[in-house]
Amino acid sequence: MAPNHPAGYDTASEIPAAPGTLVAMKRLWTPAWIARHVALVVLVSVFLGLGWWQLSRAADGNSISWGYAVEWPIFAGFVVFVWWREVRHALRPPADAAEEAPAAAGTRAADAPAADATRPVVRRPVRAARVTAPADAGGDADLAAYNHYLQWLNDNPGAKPGDYPG
Amino acid sequence: MGAALTRYRVIAWIVGVALILLVVIGMPMKYGFDNPILVETVGQAHGFLYMVYLLAAFDLSRRAGWPLKRMVLVMLAGTVPFVSFYAERRVSGWVTAEQTERTPEPVAG
Repeated sequence: MAPNHPAGYDTASEIPAAPGTLVAMKRLWTPAWIARHVALVVLVSVFLGLGWWQLSRAADGNSISWGYAVEWPIFAGFVVFVWWREVRHALRPPADAAEEAPAAAGTRAADAPAADATRPVVRRPVRAARVTAPADAGGDADLAAYNHYLQWLNDNPGAKPGDYPG
Repeated sequence: MGAALTRYRVIAWIVGVALILLVVIGMPMKYGFDNPILVETVGQAHGFLYMVYLLAAFDLSRRAGWPLKRMVLVMLAGTVPFVSFYAERRVSGWVTAEQTERTPEPVAG
């Protein structure tokens, strides 16, 4: 049921749970995620504090502290990096939609045994048969190469672009 | 995956050995016999090697699809003397077990 919107409210412009919207951001506000955000802030401030401490020691003449003064900010940066990766991972749209097409192709290409029919098909395209497309007789070499690539993609539905031999 | 595991195992051993050198030999030498040479050299190197360890562990965890908790535990295990070797054994066990479980099948052709 649609919520009560005032007249003239543009529901079409509302994208539910799309990445970058506030709805998607709510996924980052669960207890587990709040713990991660807190861990981020604590770790980064502790690491930067330790770096500052080593920097002050280095300034006092403890020359070996210069190395540690460099290391701690890098560790702090790494924490931010891992946190950012996790955030990006969580905000990715659910994999169901993307998974559907390869799964369908998998059942179509390799007819699964009856026992496997009850199991969800999780097949990854590894290496597809290489069907060579006929070379284009046109004058533009780049266009011919691109057409060849498109032809190859069409001939190998399960293949990844990285597997293109040409 | 195999290469990522090898990278992780190599750096895990290097960091584990450096850490033991530091804790078992270096720190008694510095605080007991007032000879900080090992702490200054190995300690410094260990910090930078541990960064490589973190990267290798991160890379392996992403390829193996571990949850965040396991990744963080593996990273932390590299900081505990002797435990790092045990962790390396456990990680190798997980990864090789998973690899035999899910061997991908060719889709077309």
